[in-house]
Amino acid sequence: MPYLLLAPGLVWLTVFYVLPMFRLVMTSLQEGSLEQGYRFTGNVESYVSVFTTYLPQLRNSLFFALGATVIGLIVSYPLAYAISFHTGRWKSLFLLLLLVPLLVPFLLRTLAWRVILADQGMVVTFLKTVGMLPDEGGRLLSTGWAVLAGLVYNYLAFMTLPIYVSLDKIEPSLLEAASDLYATPWTVFRKVTFPLSLPGVISGTLLTFIPAAGDYVNVELLGNRTWTMMGNVIQSKFLVIIDYPAAAAISFTLMAIVVTLVVVYVRRIGTEELLT
Amino acid sequence: MVDLTKRFGEVAAVDGLTLAIEENRFFALIGPSGCGKTTTLRMIGGFEDPTSGTIRLHGEDVTGTKPYKRPVNTVFQSYALFPHLSIFENVAFGLRRQGIGEDLDRQVNEMLDLVQLSHAAKRRPRQLSGGQQQRVALARALVNHPKVLLLDEPLGALDLKLRKEMQIELKRIQQEVGVTFVHVTHDQEEAMTMADTIAVMNKGRIERIGEPAEIYEDPRTAFVAGFLGASNLMEGQVSGKDSLVLQGGHVVRVGHGALAGRTGKVSIGVRPEKIYLSHVGADREQGNRLEGVLTDRSFIGVSTHYLVKTETAGELAVVVQNIGAERFTVGQSVAVTWSPSHSFVVGE
Repeated sequence: MPYLLLAPGLVWLTVFYVLPMFRLVMTSLQEGSLEQGYRFTGNVESYVSVFTTYLPQLRNSLFFALGATVIGLIVSYPLAYAISFHTGRWKSLFLLLLLVPLLVPFLLRTLAWRVILADQGMVVTFLKTVGMLPDEGGRLLSTGWAVLAGLVYNYLAFMTLPIYVSLDKIEPSLLEAASDLYATPWTVFRKVTFPLSLPGVISGTLLTFIPAAGDYVNVELLGNRTWTMMGNVIQSKFLVIIDYPAAAAISFTLMAIVVTLVVVYVRRIGTEELLT
Repeated sequence: MVDLTKRFGEVAAVDGLTLAIEENRFFALIGPSGCGKTTTLRMIGGFEDPTSGTIRLHGEDVTGTKPYKRPVNTVFQSYALFPHLSIFENVAFGLRRQGIGEDLDRQVNEMLDLVQLSHAAKRRPRQLSGGQQQRVALARALVNHPKVLLLDEPLGALDLKLRKEMQIELKRIQQEVGVTFVHVTHDQEEAMTMADTIAVMNKGRIERIGEPAEIYEDPRTAFVAGFLGASNLMEGQVSGKDSLVLQGGHVVRVGHGALAGRTGKVSIGVRPEKIYLSHVGADREQGNRLEGVLTDRSFIGVSTHYLVKTETAGELAVVVQNIGAERFTVGQSVAVTWSPSHSFVVGE
């Protein structure tokens, strides 16, 4: 009888997770073409292609997702820290400023970066002046750097907010207690503030890494062919070439890899902190 | 502490406070909320910078010293235990910061023994009860052998029974380790139970300082009299060396020299438990005597509390121990008597 209470949740889970996933796996094992139709044959050819043909794209996906996560963390942590501890009564305003860009569609925000990083734009001109980009042919748009910048920017709020929340939850008396017990400000951060903000760091990094690994818009708008990610392959297989089995197989493989990485990561950093 | 002042904007939370706390004493700072006692404690701990004045510790000026450089430790009101560390690591925190390595295990275990929590060393703070967490907070501070231990209403979150136990426990520990304890509380009973010296604070200043019995018997101000237990205050005009006339013309006497040469209007007070209640007819010529009508009676268990309305001194509270003496009923006319030496004189 108590299990009956689980029913609504189970139905929801089945309809929205289990069935689509099952469908995806079934599709990935099909064979055929758009004209002749697809039949289920248990063909694993599509999976083989992931590791033979699309290895560079897989590498790009993981590389960009990891880069965006690391850079995002470096940018977000001080930002979240400052908002939490040093904005006083302006706190809500800063949080609002952080969220306002999310009201602009993802695509438009990314397009805006085309302007920011344009060849005649301010950033490129500045970098050329200080000698960080060569005068002749130096550019940012259509490079890996632009893709990385776009990814960091697009997921910044998802990194900053969870970190902010866990920092803001820390009782001020804990920091006072640490300094009362002879910890210098830096040690207070290392031994108390940072460990207590770990749940936010874990959430933030996951909220950045997972969607960034499947992203294709940033490469499309800011990058070039050499930096194509798995997301771009899936997108073109599904919508351009219309090869459903291959698209499904690549999707499933990417998902499996990301889930494995996430599980290893969460285990390593410590699940206990997540529970507090 | 010399002429210590802390202002928050226009408001002076602590106003020109000068206070000397003797070494190895259990010192209690009490007062109603907002009287500045916690602010004073936080200034000793280094968490607030005084607006003006100096704080000296064993002769050394520590006024501007950061908390992590002061030989002072604090037991926080909310305990402030580190939730991500074990009990052992919580207690070891201060020692590790001071770079004590080899002897650390022994010192931490010794301290956990003292607070009877050796069995919980591996647990996390949230797995302990409030009373246990309180003892961890105490151990975490004491293990560093501070010159002064600050306690900010440490028993506030505990229930009554546990609080009584911890009061005795705290006093035992203080006597055992011989560290100066500065205890902040709004609970006068708690302060009187534990402290060697009590300072009563009001509006950022110290109103009265002394041993518990001394300031209870002779509070000197109406505020202290009211804050330290109940008291009956009566206004009158000085009429002789040791006597005064109450508003209704009744003469009462006070102890020898208690008026200290005062003249004009004064107030005197009597503690409710020092007043005897008797029938009007019964002749009990013992010191001061007033007559009145019983207006309220409440049975407390160990004692019965009465309210007697008198014509000359207003309503008086009387506490009678329940030792089988006669009961009085509401509406009855009664006489109240007390010894002149039990009256104290209250100044403005």
